[in-house]
Amino acid sequence: MEATAEQATPKAVPAPRARPAWAVVALQELRDLWLYGRGLPLALGFSALLSVVTYLAASNQSLNFLEVHEAVNLALQVGVAVGAIITLLTAADAISGERERGTLESLLLTPAPRRDLVVGKLLAALSVWLVLFVITIPYLWFLGRNVGAVADALGAGATVGTLVALSLASLGIIISALTSTNRLSLSISLFVLLALFAPTQFPTGAQSGWFGDFLLRVNPISAALHWMGKVVVDGHSWGHDADWLISPISAGVVLTAIAVLAAPRWMRLRGGSPG
Amino acid sequence: MSFPRSLRLALIALLAAALIAPGAVGVASAASTESPPVGIALSRPSTSVGIGDSFSFTSTITNAGSLPVSGLVAHLNVLSFTHGVYVDPEDWSSNRTRYLDPIPPGHSTTVDWTVKAVNGGDFGIYVAALGTPAAGAVPIEPTVSPALVAHVTEQRNVNPQGVVPLALGVPAAVAAAMGALRLRMRRRS
Repeated sequence: MEATAEQATPKAVPAPRARPAWAVVALQELRDLWLYGRGLPLALGFSALLSVVTYLAASNQSLNFLEVHEAVNLALQVGVAVGAIITLLTAADAISGERERGTLESLLLTPAPRRDLVVGKLLAALSVWLVLFVITIPYLWFLGRNVGAVADALGAGATVGTLVALSLASLGIIISALTSTNRLSLSISLFVLLALFAPTQFPTGAQSGWFGDFLLRVNPISAALHWMGKVVVDGHSWGHDADWLISPISAGVVLTAIAVLAAPRWMRLRGGSPG
Repeated sequence: MSFPRSLRLALIALLAAALIAPGAVGVASAASTESPPVGIALSRPSTSVGIGDSFSFTSTITNAGSLPVSGLVAHLNVLSFTHGVYVDPEDWSSNRTRYLDPIPPGHSTTVDWTVKAVNGGDFGIYVAALGTPAAGAVPIEPTVSPALVAHVTEQRNVNPQGVVPLALGVPAAVAAAMGALRLRMRRRS
């Protein structure tokens, strides 16, 4: 029996399309974070915190101490602020953590470009924000379901929270690339966070002057939270106070650009200032 | 018959005052000698509720005078009979000021109030009505109702608005997801 030409030459099987390096890194980081790492314990702590805040808001709301929109805004602000903090701390561990665990060398020896390593780690850190925001949704729904405040809260929270999380995750990556130890990276990140959140704790009188107003507007976190409050509590349209979003958007663009373009050059076995 | 000069001047001054400001003289005399033309009564003298409960009552504002009363503003107030208990009336009712329509003489108008008891203890709740100066209303001086005594018992609501299933459920769901993943990982390894 003669073999036909078709049988003789095997069919050309298209080679599987290789994943881009950043996707491979992101998947590995996601696996490390959510299957073996601290992602889920952090999510559990976050949900417990939101449960306490929601319980307090519900009891105060039932006694008229807190208006419904204010209760929704409180839960949303806690969700965005804590979500952004956890995202920053996750990102702050990204490179300095590898350096300290002695795994950065093998990572740098892979054929993946360093920029892809940074992008993959950045995406993995942002997944923390995404999961924490999903956890926030049932609490917002519960508090705002009777006054139709849920859609505004979710939209404003997703927009502003993603901007803030992107800025802070990029900042964390930058700090992590520059610092020699993980402890230093986390300390600097925490200090920056405290400095950024301090204006949100100013008394009302201190926020009313031109300088107080300027500080609130320049600080991406206080500006973002202010805008969110205007939308959720005061019922303003999204465009009404759009000028408050200038600093969160600028911070998001600038810090992400620095993290993606400059931080790969700072990924060295030994940390420290870029030479 | 001739009057002394001082008596004549006094009579002229009195006449002028009566012609120029009859309203002012009327208000002053009403305030000083007559009973106020506006009276306020409440539909209940006391109530006993639990903390967080709402209750309603009606105030009846009567114009007992001989002239219509317009520009009256009724205001609800709350105070604690217990020293050291802070009361913010705004927490008890967010709609505490009502602008009333004119009340003809001998008629009355009713205003319904709904109040939520947000503190425990004994409280006095009363309604005051006073006229706006621009309306030339009577009385500018406030008229106050008798107090409604509210005894509010502190009962602990451990499940405000049914929040407990959510507050426990979400962390439980996250913990379950975490446990399931860890178990799966352990079985794989």
